[in-house]
Amino acid sequence: MSHGVPRVGGEGEGGVASSQDKIKARIKAYKELEKDVTDRIKNEDYSNTTFQLTSTLLSQNPEYYTIWNHRRLLLQHVFAREFSTSSPDNPTAEGTLSTSDDHADTTAAQKAGLSPSQHEISLLISEDLSSLLPLLKQYPKCYWIWNHRSWLLTKATTHLPAASAIKFWQGELALVGKMLALDSRNFHGWGYRRTVVEAIERLGDISMAEKEFEYTTKMIKTNLSNFSAWHYRSQLIPRLLNERNARREARAKFLDGEFELITSALYTDPYDQSLWFYHQFLMATLDTTNPQAGIILSPCTNSDRKMYLEQEVTSVREMLDGAEDCKYIYQALLEYARRWRDLGGEVEKTDMKEWLGELRKLDPLREGRWRDLEKVLGLEVV
Amino acid sequence: METLDGTEWDVVIADTGFASSLLALSLSRSGKRILHLDPNEYYGGAEAAFSLAEAETWALRWSESTDGATFSHASVTKPSLSGDSKLLSSRAYSLALAPHLIYARSNNVPALVSSQCHNQLDFQAVGSWFVLNPFDDALTSSSRLIRVPSSREDVFQDASLALKAKRALMKFLRFVASYEEQTETWNDSRDQSFSLFLEQKFGLPAASHEPIMALTMSTTPASSTTTGFALPRIAQHLRSIGIFGPGFGAVLPKWGGLAEIAQVACRAGAVGGGVYVLNKAIKEAAKVEQSDTIALTLDGNERVSTTWLCGSTETTRWTGCTPAVSEEDFTTISRSISIVSSPLSHLFPPTSEGGVTPAGAVVVVPSPDASEPPVHILVHTSDAGECPMDQSVAYASVALPSDTGYPRLERAISDLLLSAEDAQPELLWTLRYQQRTNLSTQALRESGGLINLPALRDDLVLDDSVLDGVRQAWQSITSEEQSVFMKFEAREGGEEEE
Repeated sequence: MSHGVPRVGGEGEGGVASSQDKIKARIKAYKELEKDVTDRIKNEDYSNTTFQLTSTLLSQNPEYYTIWNHRRLLLQHVFAREFSTSSPDNPTAEGTLSTSDDHADTTAAQKAGLSPSQHEISLLISEDLSSLLPLLKQYPKCYWIWNHRSWLLTKATTHLPAASAIKFWQGELALVGKMLALDSRNFHGWGYRRTVVEAIERLGDISMAEKEFEYTTKMIKTNLSNFSAWHYRSQLIPRLLNERNARREARAKFLDGEFELITSALYTDPYDQSLWFYHQFLMATLDTTNPQAGIILSPCTNSDRKMYLEQEVTSVREMLDGAEDCKYIYQALLEYARRWRDLGGEVEKTDMKEWLGELRKLDPLREGRWRDLEKVLGLEVV
Repeated sequence: METLDGTEWDVVIADTGFASSLLALSLSRSGKRILHLDPNEYYGGAEAAFSLAEAETWALRWSESTDGATFSHASVTKPSLSGDSKLLSSRAYSLALAPHLIYARSNNVPALVSSQCHNQLDFQAVGSWFVLNPFDDALTSSSRLIRVPSSREDVFQDASLALKAKRALMKFLRFVASYEEQTETWNDSRDQSFSLFLEQKFGLPAASHEPIMALTMSTTPASSTTTGFALPRIAQHLRSIGIFGPGFGAVLPKWGGLAEIAQVACRAGAVGGGVYVLNKAIKEAAKVEQSDTIALTLDGNERVSTTWLCGSTETTRWTGCTPAVSEEDFTTISRSISIVSSPLSHLFPPTSEGGVTPAGAVVVVPSPDASEPPVHILVHTSDAGECPMDQSVAYASVALPSDTGYPRLERAISDLLLSAEDAQPELLWTLRYQQRTNLSTQALRESGGLINLPALRDDLVLDDSVLDGVRQAWQSITSEEQSVFMKFEAREGGEEEE
């Protein structure tokens, strides 16, 4: 099951050197390379050779963020030069960073609806993005690589017409999709995805809320324990409902659907905290003291709140059957029973005391917290 | 070509079946003088892979019932009228006699990796398990194809499960994850019905048992499957998921099932200095008095001597050296290989969002009569390298002799085709045959220089016992430490495919 992507050598990880001499030689070579690159940048040598040298250095040490900065300085210089030499008859200097000859350039540029310099910049960006893929594959959590890609895409947005720039961002969305398929809990991936989606929405003047909502559904189905996916879902909901012009009835239906989904998930695995977080989010939208109040069900009356609280307390209570050792269930019961009680609902004090008792047994290390909770809930033995 | 007559060997291996080939692989760096024979003109023995023409020749050879032979009652039919036009050339097909699936949690793949064979092999994912309930002749209701949930996410997504059922099933799955440490729960039920165990200990109603049974791949009727058999099987299935990639736990070797592994193993044996001769059977074998050798006579009357004679029970049977095999333990299986004119995509959903598309699927067809065994169908897409694009291969098997087994197989395949929602797929070509396996041969037997390697189990899962047997044989021959078994360095200038 090979991925067909050329593997970048793992030289930065200490390699296969067994003897002291080999290691010393490698350190020496690395330091020489480092000095070479920094000297060149200092001397404003923004040639293709320097560019290639930064590539070599970064593939050995992608965390060396200063070199990423140097690389960007170099690229920036090249972009600026492209715009200043806007005449197609102006030959590019020997050894400078360039990708094709002028004739082919002009025709290709015209085809893409770009000026020759825009086309050149587009090619440079495209090449840098693809050349970094193997490195990203090897170091999927390296901030600096994601950062650099971000920068390249922002440059595309600045220098190129929207129609061209958006293509880069769409390619990036596909890439993020692949990275998240490999590791769905990589929060770099999720944060990055939001940035990419935002850019596409802005450049294309569209909304991707529905599509992204669907995406979170798919990711949850692949792995229930996905804090990031559930969180993203919660973030998308307000905008989603607004775009659908959802009135009260549609909003109530939506909320019911989400409760059904999360209840089904909780019955499958009540021991998974990420599911309880989402349940808490849904309940928060019904809680007047919470900033999330009203983002789903709106308008929302007290009788609505009471209804949902009663529904959920009953539902969560049933979850106990077969999961009596799950502390999250007791925590949820105490919290929602309290809110229901505050709105006039009938909750037996003995039940609440029982749940608190179970909680203390299951999580004795947090005794202090449960004692506080006891006071807040007014359950102390008088 | 030089004659074999008068040659002396350390090891003679009598066939190039799966286990025997693995033995050759394990000995390929030992420096031993190895003669590796096969009575057939092809590699793979009882686990070979065939083109259409080769399969048809093989079927003719085993069409009758020969006393004691493994294969019998074989025939090829081309049910569809357009079969001849849709079938491509003979060589476009590589049909496996041994389409076994290999679980991640088994000793097989690690050994293939450590012996440097994995670069020459291509493994494809086996994705979904299904239970297929047969069409009801009286009504026109569609056949029910139910996907078996085998992970938390599967259970979550299964709309047909009520909440309480999800809870109960999850409880069972969680139990299986660490069942060895919870013997109090199941020790008493070890030899009892697994169905009863599910009902009593987990409150799972009888109607929900079929999917769970499907994961055991048991060839015995549901009513006689014991807890002691089922639990390790289900545990292996569940624990294998995710190891090679998200959403699946088993793989199949591309290009013809275990035959491909046998070929790669023999190649390694040859590179290691082994001599290979096909179309060469052993006529006689006898221990030489007061010596450590066996004298063999081959079918061209060549006389050969060797310290060790190894092979499957089938090929060494004629030698007269074979330890007695009890007739009682024979099971008879009916099997079929069908070429279908459709990729049957509904059986191959992706293993996860953005994950690999599987090339294999398992469909279990329970018998309406609980005392009869189920039919197991392994379906392979063209990505398994066994048929052209837009076609698929269905390997079906049931633990019944041909008179009752063949109708069951036919029915199962036709129900499978009916389960495809779009344009009706056609059956282009079918090979049917009966296979006898002897359970007592499923462990290694050794006696005075003769080694009978373990046979494959009759279900379609590659068991650990085969490699374990090969290792025991290797240890007897080389007297080496277990820890170096199948651990080789890459050869100089060898394949560097990744």
